[in-house]
Parts: sequence; structure tokens; C-alpha cells
Amino acid sequence: MLNIQTRQEGSASVVTIQGKVNFEVTAQLRDVIRDTVASAQPKLLVINLEGVSFIDSSGLGLLVAARNSVDKSSGKLHLCCLPAQVKKTFDQTNLTNYFSIFATEQDALRGS
Amino acid sequence: MSKGVVLVVDDEAPIRDILGFYLKRAGFHVLMAENGRKALEEMDKVQPDLIISDLRMPELSGDEFCRTVKGNPVTRDIYFVLVSALDGSVNKISGLNLGADDMISKPLHAQEVMAKVESAFRIIAMQKEIKRQNAELTRFQDRMNAELSLAANLQMGLLPALPGRAPGIRYTHRYLPADGIGGDIYAITPLPDGTAALMIADVSGHGVTAALISAMVKTSFESHVRLGGGPLDWAKGMNRDIALNTLPEQFATALVAHLDPRKNNLCYVVAGHTAPMRIQGGVAGGLRRPELLPGKGFMLGIDEHLPFTEQCAPYEVGDRFVFYTDGLVEVERVDRTFLAEEGLVRLSSELPEDPDAAAGQLVRQAQEYNAPNTFGDDVTLVVLDRLA
Repeated sequence: MLNIQTRQEGSASVVTIQGKVNFEVTAQLRDVIRDTVASAQPKLLVINLEGVSFIDSSGLGLLVAARNSVDKSSGKLHLCCLPAQVKKTFDQTNLTNYFSIFATEQDALRGS
Repeated sequence: MSKGVVLVVDDEAPIRDILGFYLKRAGFHVLMAENGRKALEEMDKVQPDLIISDLRMPELSGDEFCRTVKGNPVTRDIYFVLVSALDGSVNKISGLNLGADDMISKPLHAQEVMAKVESAFRIIAMQKEIKRQNAELTRFQDRMNAELSLAANLQMGLLPALPGRAPGIRYTHRYLPADGIGGDIYAITPLPDGTAALMIADVSGHGVTAALISAMVKTSFESHVRLGGGPLDWAKGMNRDIALNTLPEQFATALVAHLDPRKNNLCYVVAGHTAPMRIQGGVAGGLRRPELLPGKGFMLGIDEHLPFTEQCAPYEVGDRFVFYTDGLVEVERVDRTFLAEEGLVRLSSELPEDPDAAAGQLVRQAQEYNAPNTFGDDVTLVVLDRLA
């Protein structure tokens, strides 16, 4: 069961995800991210992964696609608040070097 | 053309005649019978769409007739209206409990009967449409299942034949796709110089799309191996192929390795995949100390220009290697923990000598560890023994 919430913080959009991100839920998450990017056209998209207990390769693929999509519209994607299990998956796939990852949501919003 | 076939069953001829008259005038084809037994004989010749039957009749009464019609799979879908001289909700309920679709009270009013008949035929038309659509869906599903089964067989055919043998190695596998057909794939290609190339990959997602890409991954691997070079060249080539030929969200994790018995080393690239496990002296079975080999890297297909790194590990005679996809270790248990790589190392610390028995034991123990939860993703496990 995935819980996704979105909100605006100035010119930034924040997507908060809770639950397991795997193949079964990628369609739901993809729609939310696509709609957020299309409707708000944020300069900065922050995805808060604090409540994510697990992410598989489909979920990682979705985040990579989200970054590519935000890049195309000259925006930025910042990820924040990776729990240990998710951080491990990011390390294993070198994605810590592909994404801008922040410890807190405030840092991600500031981009520092 | 008639609007449908109505069977009127009543022991009173005048009632049959009056109903027959109105029904024919409304465009229905009418059959008549004077009791339930005669009605059943009539139904052997022509199957009606609707039956209007009196309750009290000699030989076979309306309730027995209704029970017979509704108890027969061939006739049970015929719309059945029971006519009762007794009014009141108790009688109506007992009639409906017999399986009748509707009840009419006597004395009959032609307009009421015709309104019920027209309404019944609207329901009959809907039921026929639902049946037609169900049959179409069933045919479609059967066709899809047959094609999936064919595709699954084809995919099994892409895996190395077992028991796996190549100069200096023996190997076996377990391949458990989550949806009959999966996005996992592996290949072992013996090379002319006595070495071998190995690849195990897991395409994001599962099902048909992932299976199609997995076939592409295998072809890409084999073509890059044919071009020469080593694991780094093969991984880079595969990364380019997947980045350029798949949709934005489609990636593969992979382990690409070169097994070199001349140098006693195994050089490999980890592309977002689980690192291989080495069990020194594991070919002899028994209690061992397995080690996860180091390695990490980007998944294949994110960007054609991303860098990869190659590393090497000992590959000695008597060593056993375990290659696997993450579906084996990433089942969330009831207590929200996972077997994880560390758990697999634990399970691998004492394996039988026979590689096939070892693979079977590992999968079984992983299943037992996860129970009652089951594998939700494709699972591939390869046990490879370095022989003399």
C-alpha cells in the first residue's frame, strides 16, 4: 500500500511517499509525478522518501525517469530523507552519484 | 422475425388462449402446454426464452416444473415467471425461493402480464449480451494464456541447458518467474581460449515487456562477447544498447563476468545488481565461509555515457560461486525484515556437494525463511562450480 502526498512550497513541489515502492505501485506513482510536473511545472521537485520501507528496480527506474523528465523542463529533482534500507539500494546501484540527495526536506528545498 | 419465444403453461385452455393472443399480437412466438410434463416435452423440441407457468396444475405442478427447469444447467437460464392464484408476499417469496425469476398473481391482467414480459425480455437481452461478452473475454483470455505459455517456454529455451557443463566448470540454475514469464535472464558462453563469459540480469518490472527486454539483454551480451574485450566492454556495450533501445523507465541490473581458469581469476562488472558470492572450496560441500564479493554500479540503460568499473576476485579450483537476482533475497517478511544478502550468506554456509541439490536447498530455505510470504518478483539463482 503506497501513500503519496503532494504539496507546493513556493516554486517547489514536494512529493512525499510512504510504503513499498515496487512494480505493483509504479503506475500510481508515475501518474502523480507526471501530473505534478505537468500542472505545477516546478523549478524544483523534491521527493521525500522518508516513509519508504523498500524500493526495487522498477521504483528506481521511475525515479531516474522522473529526473530525466524534470531535466527536460529545465527543473531540478532533489531526493531527501532516505531510510537505511533505501540508501543501501541507492549505494548498490551507484544512484547516490546520479541524484542530488539531501538529509532533510528543508535542505532539499534549499538545495544546499 | 419474432421478438422471442414464450412458453405458456396452464391447465386452463382459456388462459392459455388469452395469453397466447396478446403475446402473438406483441410479436412473440408462442408455445403452449397444459402442464409441466407436457411443457418439458415441448422444451425438448424448442427452447423458449421465457416461461409463464401456472402454479397449480395436474401431473407436474408449476413449482416442480420450475425446480426441474432451474435445476438443469441447460435450461436454468430461461426466465421463469410463476403464476399463482394465491396472492400475498409469502407466496411470492416461496415462488422466488423455488428459483422463479418473477411472480404474477391471479386473476391475470393482460396489461400487467405484457408489461412483465417486455421487462423480462429486456433482462433476457442484457443477460445474453453479458454471456456473449463473457464468452468473448474467456476466448481472449484462453488465447492470451496460450500465448503466454508459449512465450514462457520460449524463454525457458533461452536459458542454458542443464546440467550445465563447460570446460572447467559445472553449473545449474533455478528460474522462477513471478508471472509465468519474467524479466530475469542469464547466460554462460564458453570462449575459444578456454575461458567463459557469464551474465545474469534482471530487467525492471516483470511480465511480457520485461521478458522481451530480457531476450534483448541476452542477445546484446552475446554480441558484445563475440566482439572481444572483457566485462567492462561488454557492460558498456549492453548499457548503450538498453539505453538506446528501450523506453525511459526500462532498465536492467546485471552482473557481467569473465571466468578465467588460466589466471585463476574472475573479473566482473556489477551494474546495479547483487554482487556474486564466492564459497572458497565450496565444491566439496560442507561447512564453509561464503563471502560476498565487492562491487556496485549503475543499472544498465539509464544513460549511455555512464561509467562502469571492473574488478577481479580469485577463481580457484574447488571454488563455488552463487549468482542470483534480488527477488531471492528481497521478500518482505511478516516482521518487515528481509533475508537480504547477509541472510543468503548465512544459508550458503553449509551446502551439499552436488550443485543442483545446493541450488534447491537455497531456494527452499529462502522460501521457508519468508513463509508465509512468497516470492513476489522473478527469482534466478545460479550455482557454478570451478573444477580442475
